[in-house]
Amino acid sequence: MSPRIRVALLALSGLILLPCAASVIAGLPAFGSKIALYGARINAITPEARHVANMVSAINFDLRGLDTLGEEFMLLAAITGTVVLLRGHRGEGLTGRAMRRPGRAVIPRSEATVLACRIAGPLTCLFGLYVVLHATVTPGGGFQGGVILASGTLLIYLGEGYSGWRDAIHSHWLDALEGGGALVFALCGLVPMLTGAAFMQNILPLGTLRDLFSGGLMLVENLGVAMAVTGGFTQLFLEFMEETRQAEEPDEPGEESA
Amino acid sequence: MTLAPAALLPLPVAIPLVICATLLATAHLLPGRIPDILALLAALAVAVLSAVIAVHAADGPLVYWFGGWEPRDGVHLGIGFSVDAASGWIAAFIGLLYALTFVFAWGFFDRTHGHFHILMLLFLAAMVGFCFTRDMFNLFVWFEVMSVAAFALTAYHLAESSLAGAINFTVVNSLAGFLMLGGIGLIYAQTGTLDYDGMAAAIAQTGRSPVVAGAFCLVAAALMIKGSIVPFQFWLADAHAVAPSPVSVIFSGSMVSLGLFGLAKVSAVVFGGSDQVQGALPVLLIGLGSATALLGGWMALLQRHLKRMLAFSTISHAGIMLTGLGALSAGGTGGMLVYVVGHGLVKGALFMIAGILLATQASIDEIALRGLGRGIWPAGIAMGLAGLLLCGLPIGILDQGTRLVQGGLSQQGHGIALAATAIGAALTGAAVLRAAGRIFLGLGPDPGDEAGAPSADEREKANRPLWLMLAPCCALLAVDVALPAGPIAHALPRAVSAFMRRPEAGMLAEGPGWLPWVSVAAALLGAGYGLFRKRLPAFVVRPVSASQSAPTRALEILHSGLIGDYAVWLAVGVAVIAAVLAMV
Repeated sequence: MSPRIRVALLALSGLILLPCAASVIAGLPAFGSKIALYGARINAITPEARHVANMVSAINFDLRGLDTLGEEFMLLAAITGTVVLLRGHRGEGLTGRAMRRPGRAVIPRSEATVLACRIAGPLTCLFGLYVVLHATVTPGGGFQGGVILASGTLLIYLGEGYSGWRDAIHSHWLDALEGGGALVFALCGLVPMLTGAAFMQNILPLGTLRDLFSGGLMLVENLGVAMAVTGGFTQLFLEFMEETRQAEEPDEPGEESA
Repeated sequence: MTLAPAALLPLPVAIPLVICATLLATAHLLPGRIPDILALLAALAVAVLSAVIAVHAADGPLVYWFGGWEPRDGVHLGIGFSVDAASGWIAAFIGLLYALTFVFAWGFFDRTHGHFHILMLLFLAAMVGFCFTRDMFNLFVWFEVMSVAAFALTAYHLAESSLAGAINFTVVNSLAGFLMLGGIGLIYAQTGTLDYDGMAAAIAQTGRSPVVAGAFCLVAAALMIKGSIVPFQFWLADAHAVAPSPVSVIFSGSMVSLGLFGLAKVSAVVFGGSDQVQGALPVLLIGLGSATALLGGWMALLQRHLKRMLAFSTISHAGIMLTGLGALSAGGTGGMLVYVVGHGLVKGALFMIAGILLATQASIDEIALRGLGRGIWPAGIAMGLAGLLLCGLPIGILDQGTRLVQGGLSQQGHGIALAATAIGAALTGAAVLRAAGRIFLGLGPDPGDEAGAPSADEREKANRPLWLMLAPCCALLAVDVALPAGPIAHALPRAVSAFMRRPEAGMLAEGPGWLPWVSVAAALLGAGYGLFRKRLPAFVVRPVSASQSAPTRALEILHSGLIGDYAVWLAVGVAVIAAVLAMV
């Protein structure tokens, strides 16, 4: 199809779709006019039933925990798929250490950068852990905290350089962290079944409202998600950096013979 | 409590997830064949557990509430699974298909740390969850997990063609995800619940509402994209042709038909109370289904790339399934459910044969392979049988599904759709039989229009003995032929009534017995024409080629592989659905 036909066809379907969309939008309940029965009921029940202040976590990890389990494994699928695509013909053969390209200068970090990263890195990780652990009390949780933890590892790259990052990060450990975290989450569903409860039923002591240790099973699930997200995102960073180095090679054909 | 059959419901989803997480965590420690074995065992466990669940669900759907959140005061709080017999048997069939695919792919993917198995197990868990769930958002979650795993599996070979196919697949199916999410948002705004039954009750009270119609339009479009219905079908041929053959087995055998299975469930259960939707369904499904059956069959006949041919044949059969759905009767829907299983078995076997040719003869091109299949003649017999089953040879479960679909159509007086199902099946059967004759018998030295079709130089690793690849293929065909028709026909009316939430109808009508034979005869005729064109008199050949070439070229141009074109067709398709809904 030529671009002109394409646009014409799109405009034609727009002629039908726009009035339909308008009538649908007009038929919707007015903005903010009502809170759905489902939401109202959950808000009424959950703080008392689960001793949890952060309602989002209660919905994600308890009421609709199965959705989150699916989302967690979707993330795992996306990361595994990305790894497959990026590794490509480079295959599994990860070099143990960072490669040095002969003739290319390694520009040392300024001391200020190194110092800032060495201070900020541990602090970032501490903050990530805080966000993970307070999942049931304040906004946050395993996904958010996991991403913060993973970005803490990126500061190693910024501060110590590529070879320092490669020495600190090992692909197999990340796989273990990611798979292990997902496994913890899945087992949080299966283990309650051994006691005769339902899949992912919150059988642990619920603690007191607004306390760090409130929410029972949700804390364990959060920990699993945090592990999986930390491992998964760091794995992504690793693969993207390796990919960048690979892609450069055809540009400098003389290097290999040197 | 733990012994109640309903307590089994989470396991077919949870087991593959647990195995997949374990594989990812430990893959670099595991010796060679362990991922193969674990994946095979997980798939078998899913098949067996789903079958047990299906048997227990015969007397009525089994319901399971996750986290113990049972509905309180009529408000559904948590997520539930609700499995009727039909959903259970479909899940069991999917488990079996995966198990045989893992046998077929034994050792094929050993260069990676089990990544293939990890993605496949996720894919399996998502499909079972999709079958079992009774929560609209949960349906979307599994829909997306399926898509994400499928994108990566399509691109697995990392050749230029497979990346292009995977991009088209990713973009079109991500658009499907957006549409579906939008539709769910609308329906949630209207009904205030996500549970199927809760939504159905709310919709039945609403009466005619543009919001309900809009929600159905978006959700149906998303599921039809997955089910490769015209004009959403373009991504399928690009993706199925380039995916590794074990993955194509799963795509064609279960993923596409699962989209239509979802459409059947959603339109019967959730939107069952909306007169507007129910009024629009026959026109929409019969019309689009017939067009799909014909276009897919015609395009299949024009291909020389075997996997691309099979992909178009899948499109054609998806159209036939959709017409069955469009009959809006117990017979049509029941026939469609049986057809899903029968088609999955036969098409899975055919993709395995394509994989065998890729591995042993290092080509997938029908014309380049001419006569090269003689050394592996057992595969030729399997391909011939599969081709005959595909076009309607009256044995086995695919034929039972066909006759029920045709029965539903003739009962409702949809003559054109009835003809379309017969012609579509005949065209795809002719394509497969022509390829079988050319590859395994060395016939057909001068190709016709198919010579101008796109092809690619492909091969797959030849590291497996022929018997190991042929055994799962023959097992699929054997299951299709050997499954007893009597018990299925006996159990079907009750299963369909539980599936559609409708009172039970009597015995389901079957279509005219001569119709499948017509399809078989037409398929043989078509294949014969393709193979013996040179020996036919000119007054037969010339008019056929003359009338055939121009539309052929036009169809090829439409399947351009350009993602912008596909997105425009997608918009056209949504507009068609919206227009039909608006006119009812």
